[in-house]
Amino acid sequence: MAPLGYIEVLDHKGNVVERTRINSFPVHVGRAYSNEVVIDDPYVCPAHITIELDDGGSLIARDLNSINGLRTASDRKKRLAKLELNSGSQFQIGHTTLRYRSFDHPLAPTLLDRENEASFFGSPHVAVFAGLLVFALLCLEGFLGSVERVTIAGIVSEPLVTFATLFLWAGLWTLAGRVILSRFYFFEHVTIASFAIVGFFAINAVAEWLEFLFPFIPALWLAGVFGAGLILAALVFGHLRFASMMRRRSRIWAAFSVSAALIGISFISDYANRSKFSNVMEFNGIVKPLDAAWVPTISVEQFIDSSQKLKKDLETLAQKSKSVQP
Amino acid sequence: MKCKLFFAVVSFHLTSLICASLGFAQSQITSPTTAEIFKQFSEQVVKIEVVESGSGAKASVGSGFFANERGQIVTNYHVVSKLIHSPDRYRIDVSAPSGQTAQAAVLAVDVIYDLAVLSINRSIKGFLRFETTPVAQGTRLYSLGHPQDLGLTIVEGTYNGLLQHSLYPKVHFTGSLNPGMSGGPTVTHAGKVVGINVATEGEQISFLVPAARAISLLEKTAAIEKPSTADFLAEVGRQIQANQARYLDGMFSKATPSVTLGPYSLPTKPADFFRCWADALRRKELPYVVISHDCSTDDYIFVSSEQSSGIVRFYHQLLSTEELNPARFFTLYSSQVQAGNVALFGNEEEVTPFRCLTRNLQTQGGKLKGVLCARQYVKLPGLYDAVFRGATLGARNVGLVTTLSLSGVSFENIQALTRRYAEAIKWRR
Repeated sequence: MAPLGYIEVLDHKGNVVERTRINSFPVHVGRAYSNEVVIDDPYVCPAHITIELDDGGSLIARDLNSINGLRTASDRKKRLAKLELNSGSQFQIGHTTLRYRSFDHPLAPTLLDRENEASFFGSPHVAVFAGLLVFALLCLEGFLGSVERVTIAGIVSEPLVTFATLFLWAGLWTLAGRVILSRFYFFEHVTIASFAIVGFFAINAVAEWLEFLFPFIPALWLAGVFGAGLILAALVFGHLRFASMMRRRSRIWAAFSVSAALIGISFISDYANRSKFSNVMEFNGIVKPLDAAWVPTISVEQFIDSSQKLKKDLETLAQKSKSVQP
Repeated sequence: MKCKLFFAVVSFHLTSLICASLGFAQSQITSPTTAEIFKQFSEQVVKIEVVESGSGAKASVGSGFFANERGQIVTNYHVVSKLIHSPDRYRIDVSAPSGQTAQAAVLAVDVIYDLAVLSINRSIKGFLRFETTPVAQGTRLYSLGHPQDLGLTIVEGTYNGLLQHSLYPKVHFTGSLNPGMSGGPTVTHAGKVVGINVATEGEQISFLVPAARAISLLEKTAAIEKPSTADFLAEVGRQIQANQARYLDGMFSKATPSVTLGPYSLPTKPADFFRCWADALRRKELPYVVISHDCSTDDYIFVSSEQSSGIVRFYHQLLSTEELNPARFFTLYSSQVQAGNVALFGNEEEVTPFRCLTRNLQTQGGKLKGVLCARQYVKLPGLYDAVFRGATLGARNVGLVTTLSLSGVSFENIQALTRRYAEAIKWRR
């Protein structure tokens, strides 16, 4: 004889919404309050089904001539007069999905809760280190970027606003986490935002050197844009981890959507600007302090040969311009 | 740079009243000789208006004069350039001092020397002859024209010879030419034309196109019976193309003199018609020094109000520091390489946007970052503006940014000059 168990009402994702303990059979299921299992669904009859043991000891759900019938969760088109239930069987009455589970239904292993453990991102030491690294990089950038005489006070004071913005940003995410998850994750957000900034610094430095050394590689900037897009996606992914209940897959989607949207917007505005006429010469003037022996070069003759392509491009532009004019 | 004398029409009622009354006061004290010259030759001087056909409004005003018995009028190319560029949008009205007005057609242009010959379908009372014998420096001359559209005016001045270092010979006339007098004649007391009013540098420094150029242009039109519908813009393009060899051939060849800036030896003053200047930025509060050397042709060819051709400019900027570390110095150096301090005008109707080519180059002397930017003239096929910029590589506390800027030249000339210019940058060992 099958052991007694629970009748569970499930939502559309399969999560348990209600659970009714079964102490004896038969069990009556329907909208009426006289039933053991009361279903709040206008498509369910007052007395919709019973669940009972048959002579062979099997558990059977039986339709009580209901209007909308009894169906399996897998085939909702087929109306059944009765259905044999095992522990875990799902079935449908009206718009409601029900599941039977016996007392001895096997359970998934207990999850270890890492929330309260010391995590890398949650460590105050890591957060302080990451924050200081950002501050140091901002100071370094200010120092290397200035060509006038500077004082230490000037170098340290300049990045303060940017630095404060980092904490404001982390604070806003923390607040979101507090509202949604009822928990504070300040250090986590500081660490994530700091690492993203360090990432942007790194990508910028690499891009400058590459553009200096290999100006002949077309669309090198595109690689830079995608690198920045990846860091942006990682930033959103990380923040959402500590500020929402989204699952991993949804967070990946959200992160890449935000990143793609921002890159898309910048491409569109870049394209709009590009089609406007301008007398400005657009080229990258970056030079780096590197021993000349290390700089890959071409001969002046090859440079002149390459300019033939420039001539062709201009020919195309002139033709286009002519055809537009009255 | 000289200022062309044509006069775009703007509202100037108040100014014109004041100027008109001054003109009246002046005429009271003019010497009798000048008065006689004015009386004798003013009939042969005309006002030339370029009129927008749609609205009938004046777009520009200049002067001109009858130059032969066939009634052909000599004026400046820049006075009628609007019509040359958009023949469908403009027409030329010529009015004689008597008040008679007629429509004129273009017969020939010489864009290099800024001349045009027009014809009208009217009989004329007389014409001015050209002075063919040499004129002595200091000779009194009389310039006629319509300054600021204020009515026919005579201006006294003196002949001061041909310009010494000009790419295109010009008469140096010491007298006050003003906008609107362009295309008018400057004559001797016998009424013989010495030159055609063309430009001023202010303060009585004015320039005339020598009579010889007008004579040869008129000879070309002798065979022309009636005005053709020829595309003068294409002719302008051909003339500019043909003129390039005259001043670009051999420029920056090995014979070009050089100037020393820091560890570099660089080209300077490649021809007599260049003027060069040098300067240094050395300020106590700056931890670096910039020494600059700038050379430019003094002359240019007027193509349209927004386009000119034939300008060659190049400049070197040597940056050095004793104080900045290499990373900081290269921030300064990069921004100097990037800086777009090359003044080039132009609108969408006349030029394409710039396109640039950037590469690191190995020259005979050392390594350079090289950038070549160019744009094409839309209406004058085969002509381009170009800027080549080079930045020396390898040093840690010194850098040279050098720029060559060319306007209105063929792409082949851009390539040839860029090649020679890049190779003319030398490293002193």
